[in-house]
Amino acid sequence: MILRNISKIFIPALLLMGVAACNIDTIEDPNNPSVGAITSNASLSEIQNLVTGIEGGMRINLGFYFDGVGAIGREIYRFSTSDPRFTSDLLGKGSAVLDNNTFYTTNPYAARYRTVKNANILLEAVENSTAITTNEARNAAKGFANTIKAHQLLLVWVQQYDNGIRIDVADPNNLGPFVGEGDDKAALRAIAALLDEGNTQLTAGGAAFPFSLSSGFSGFDTPASFAKVNRALAARVHAYKSDWDLALQALAGSFYDQNGDLALGAYHPYSTAGGDALNPQWFPLNATGESRVVQPSFITDAEAGDTRLSKATKRADTEFQDGLQSDYDLTVYATNATSIPIVRNEELILLYAEAKIQKGDAGFLSDAVGALDVIRNAAGLGDYAGGTTQAELITEMLKQRRYSLFGEGHRWVDMRRYNLLNTLPIDRPGDDVWVKYPRPANED
Amino acid sequence: MKIKTINKFLLLPALLLASFQVAIAQFTVTGRVTDANGEGLPGATIAIVGASRGTSADIDGNYRLEVPGSSATIAIAYTGYKTVNMQVTSANNRIDVVMEEDFAGLDEVVISGLATNVKRANLANAVSSITSNELVGTTVQSSMDGALYGKLTGVNIISNSGAPGGGTTVKFRGITTLNGNSQPLYIVDGVYYDNSNFRSNTNFVSQAAGQGSTQFQDNPSNRVSDLDPEDIDRIEVLKGASAAAIYGSRAASGVVLITTKRGRRDGSTEVNVSQSIGFQQQLKKLGVRDWDASKVEAAFGAGEVANYNQAVAAGKVYNYEDELFGESGALSTTRLSINGGSEKFGYYAGVTRKSEKGIVKNTGYDKTSVRLNLDPKIFKWADLQVNLNYVNSESDRGYFNNDNTSTTLGVSYVSTPSWADLFPDEQGNYPNNPYAPSNFLQTRDLITNREKVDRILGGGIGTFHLWTTDQHSLNLIVRGGADQYTLRTRSIFPRELQFQKDGNGTNGVSIAGTSHSFGTNIAAFLVHNYTTSGNVTFRTQAGVTQENLDQDFINTLATQLIGSQTNLNQAGSVQVIQERLKQVDKGFFAQEEINFKDMAIFTVGIRGDKSSRNGDVNKLFYYPKASLALNIHEMTDLGSTLSQFKLRGAFGQSGNFGPFGATYTPLNPIIIGGGTGSIIGITLGNTTIGPEKQTEIEVGFDLGILQNRFNLEFTYYVKSVKDLILLVNTPSASGFTSAWQNAADLKNNGFEIALNLNPVHTREFNWDSRISFWKNTAEITRLDVPAYNLGAFGATLGTYRIENGKSPTQIVGIDPNADANGLKVFGDAEPDFQIAFNNALRYSNWELNFLFHLKQGGKNINLSTLLSDIFGTSADYDDKSVDPSGTMGNGAYRLSQLGVSASAWVENAGYLRLREVGLKYNLPSSWFKDKAKVRLGFSGRNLLNFFEYSSYDPEVSNFGTNAISSNVEVTPFPSAKSYFFTIGASF
Repeated sequence: MILRNISKIFIPALLLMGVAACNIDTIEDPNNPSVGAITSNASLSEIQNLVTGIEGGMRINLGFYFDGVGAIGREIYRFSTSDPRFTSDLLGKGSAVLDNNTFYTTNPYAARYRTVKNANILLEAVENSTAITTNEARNAAKGFANTIKAHQLLLVWVQQYDNGIRIDVADPNNLGPFVGEGDDKAALRAIAALLDEGNTQLTAGGAAFPFSLSSGFSGFDTPASFAKVNRALAARVHAYKSDWDLALQALAGSFYDQNGDLALGAYHPYSTAGGDALNPQWFPLNATGESRVVQPSFITDAEAGDTRLSKATKRADTEFQDGLQSDYDLTVYATNATSIPIVRNEELILLYAEAKIQKGDAGFLSDAVGALDVIRNAAGLGDYAGGTTQAELITEMLKQRRYSLFGEGHRWVDMRRYNLLNTLPIDRPGDDVWVKYPRPANED
Repeated sequence: MKIKTINKFLLLPALLLASFQVAIAQFTVTGRVTDANGEGLPGATIAIVGASRGTSADIDGNYRLEVPGSSATIAIAYTGYKTVNMQVTSANNRIDVVMEEDFAGLDEVVISGLATNVKRANLANAVSSITSNELVGTTVQSSMDGALYGKLTGVNIISNSGAPGGGTTVKFRGITTLNGNSQPLYIVDGVYYDNSNFRSNTNFVSQAAGQGSTQFQDNPSNRVSDLDPEDIDRIEVLKGASAAAIYGSRAASGVVLITTKRGRRDGSTEVNVSQSIGFQQQLKKLGVRDWDASKVEAAFGAGEVANYNQAVAAGKVYNYEDELFGESGALSTTRLSINGGSEKFGYYAGVTRKSEKGIVKNTGYDKTSVRLNLDPKIFKWADLQVNLNYVNSESDRGYFNNDNTSTTLGVSYVSTPSWADLFPDEQGNYPNNPYAPSNFLQTRDLITNREKVDRILGGGIGTFHLWTTDQHSLNLIVRGGADQYTLRTRSIFPRELQFQKDGNGTNGVSIAGTSHSFGTNIAAFLVHNYTTSGNVTFRTQAGVTQENLDQDFINTLATQLIGSQTNLNQAGSVQVIQERLKQVDKGFFAQEEINFKDMAIFTVGIRGDKSSRNGDVNKLFYYPKASLALNIHEMTDLGSTLSQFKLRGAFGQSGNFGPFGATYTPLNPIIIGGGTGSIIGITLGNTTIGPEKQTEIEVGFDLGILQNRFNLEFTYYVKSVKDLILLVNTPSASGFTSAWQNAADLKNNGFEIALNLNPVHTREFNWDSRISFWKNTAEITRLDVPAYNLGAFGATLGTYRIENGKSPTQIVGIDPNADANGLKVFGDAEPDFQIAFNNALRYSNWELNFLFHLKQGGKNINLSTLLSDIFGTSADYDDKSVDPSGTMGNGAYRLSQLGVSASAWVENAGYLRLREVGLKYNLPSSWFKDKAKVRLGFSGRNLLNFFEYSSYDPEVSNFGTNAISSNVEVTPFPSAKSYFFTIGASF
């Protein structure tokens, strides 16, 4: 009796369920395009989006990168009322050390690899896209992707140094090994090889990219002209690994020009337009609390009349924080929409001088002095009048690099390359100058 | 075949119904329902057992009921009294009933299935329930969730900040998820009530997310605060899967079932009006540092001493704590409700108008709620309910919490010493704050940060009596509803602000957000009751459910404002964010309940659910349940003292979805130089992700003595959650910093004890008391990834750590005595235990209610103190109470620990509070010729607070309702205590 009644109810109930509990349609991501669709067969506009994404990605967390290497290289102090670690950890205050899981370590690292990932997606997309019809266009896009990858990996290397860096990161579930663990040059060789691969592809890239680049690459927006940026970066990499002949060779293929505009080069553009980013290294004059001020020795070590001191502007009031103080604001960038260089002619002239000095014999040294004088004269200084031994010229070259490339992330690497980190100023007893960042916590 | 069966199924009840239309003999029963003292019990319900007919007693306790046939059993019930069953016949048709008080509420009916009720005495779970009187009877409540404090065992409630308009984290029986929805499912009269929160995007100005933490810290309120507590008749809380399994894949964090008030349907009408006025004040003042010239020199350098001396000489040293948090915010609640109706039509209408000003100038909360609940009895064979609720609220929430621009009121306040002069001149021009990027008085006076909500909730329940005989009843219950609201956020930072003008910002920011949420749910169930002649009841129910949710968040941000314009187009730059969420869930459930003479009650059931939120959208996930309650006192005579002894055990499973979007690997938009691009998102999606699955086993006993005047409930539970969805850190060289995985298990266990006492019970004086104690312990029992830190701001300042074998809420940090990972455990956010002591005393016309709440232990990460130390403004900077060696001042000592140990910022967050206290006087009704009842009352919330925590309030969450990483404080909106005077009348 009971069973009969129950079954009477359950049969219709189960039918009801069958009707109502029908299938659910998969809901596509309502908010974003998917990676799968783009890598399988991208349209030209999707390829363009990836390229723009790469350019945009190169800017992500760049502010923390410059703040970090600038503070450790004792060019600036980053004062922050809301985060004391800029003046404790970065400067090694007391027993503070660089943390392997804090934003200054992890954010720039992750952002560079995120751009690398976007470049890898672009490489895969152009390989599979039927919208790209010529091999030239395909090569051009790959040359672009590989060049940017190399640049991003180089920034990772600056911070990671002989921790080594991962070069092969195409498969997120099966990452390649750390290259150059304990050998700071090995990763550089891999980066140089990547640049060479990009250069070869650009050379076979035809007359035009199958996409357009932002104003940051104005003048370098064809495969042939972009290859000059590739070579400029190669010159930097070769110099970092002390391959002076290769550096000079690369310079020859770059936009290096002693008579050219020192600012000529490739840039990260910024603007106040909606959705665009503001220059993260710009603060208004006389900002308090959150400020970026100049380490005082930049002023005191300068030669009289050096116009490059305009990169440090005297404040109305001294800015203090955490036992540090400065009278000068960092004013490398005029406005919050000023571009930040990726690589520019002034650096290339200095790389030329450096390579010549390192070659060592007299003729080379005089080439070097000539190049240094170009830089000095541009800064309102007279020709170099100091000693011309190789050692003296290295000192002069490093000084010119310090003032010419101030705030652009070079000082710390230069001091490290020449084993001079111990000459950087220590502002508080117990502060440390770090050689490298720790490997991010989640990498192992 | 199918169609034929369905036809049969539909026709059968129709025929049965038709047969009922035939007139049968009927008779009238009359009588009076009274208490032991002979006082009438108005509103007592009189129902025919097994039929859907009933009535309720009038104001004197008299009733009149038409009964079909020649005999029937009627059940007379009244809240707080034992239900009485009486045989009536046409000859024996005058039934006067003297009701016996039911101290333990055993005859109270609580919800046990998706569509069915059970007497509390027969329940196998420790369901916590709260009546209207417990909820709002003592004092005025700002929000429903806030009103639950201390009234339920096994519950941990944290108010995220003191900002007007709510924002509360509610957790039942510990943590049940690490990344999924951590908040319970709210169901109001059968309608799923959305409890999302949407950020205002003030993050653009504060930049709080991005540096130390990627989580937003905009301090939004969560939307359950829209519910008016005054409309609520009762709340039932299903704390874990053993009780909530039939709610399936959304029930892992518990379910809160809310039933609103309904019409009386007895021919009488009751009107209630009340007005409360009051004020609130900062709960705890920290004070300001007592400066002198040497301290100024130490903190700000020798150059600052002159400024300080000048300010002292001019009498311009200020107490900015009083200036910023010193408002006595006026509070007002106006309330009108009417309920009444006839047997044919019941209605309840409630209107509440609430206005609360905050302790910070220009902050406050206004809410208007209108509710209409109708019970039309159109057909004899059907009961219908229609519920409508409209809410309009507006809250001005100030601008607090963490930032990275030193512009929030909180951060700029702690960075400013007391000799700064921030006051505007006669023309209203504010000076720049030389000590911080923001003049917080200017910010307070000029900004807007507002949430506005328009919400409509509509629902209906139809109960169709398909078939009724002496032993059988078959009902079809169809229930559905829609919950839709629009939340508009408006944040305006005018360009004359210190941090917006002169290149310090973006020359003004105007942010407008519109979040639209639309949820619907519908369910249909068949319920079959069968009572054997031997009084064994079988109740079978089965049904199907569907829930949809569609949310659309649009946030438009304009900068470079033109003059004082705030319209989004009066700007040089505009950017828009849109985030959508779509979800469809479908499921079925079936349950069988066997009640053997009220001695043994056995229930078994299953729910199957599928959802678009899972990787495989059409895979059914099953959630079974089973429970057994044994009423020993019904089986055998336990003597006259022992009035109740029940053993109970319950098992159940439930699920929880991962965050929306966990199945996708998105490309995010990015703009550079006018071009739009796509950049890979930082999280790798997982197309195989499944729900988190919870299994809970609960056992306990209930013991009552002396007619249950003393009653003890004990419950022990083990709640395990498998396949927790983790946002696993990935090597960021992959391009992704994280990925979604079902990668961990955790286990909560704990116990809950409640002791209900009625020590004094006379006509003049009654004292009810409830002491409850609860404790939960949690442990991660599986972790597929290496242990990792989560939440807060990194190990230097204290962070959470997910580690196998440890509590998921352990707080760790760097320390000289660290372990191999460089970390030391400083404590746990989970309290050691909690105790609530709730009392209701009535003497003649006076009523006194008070509720003490003790939270023992539990730690917070207090970074307000860190920031005020850095700027030398901590009130206790010069005290010497924290340095173990006793030599350094507190501020200097804590700062010396920065980078050495995080211990200085991990603090005990225990407290003892007088949560609620209320004294009420019922004016003698003879003054009003017995036509009205008028009462006066004084009451308060959080009037007494004892804690050693060094900041405003240990109850705080910088990160809102996140599962992990509440209990972090960064310069919040301080919380308040409130005082009320209430006058109310009923006619």
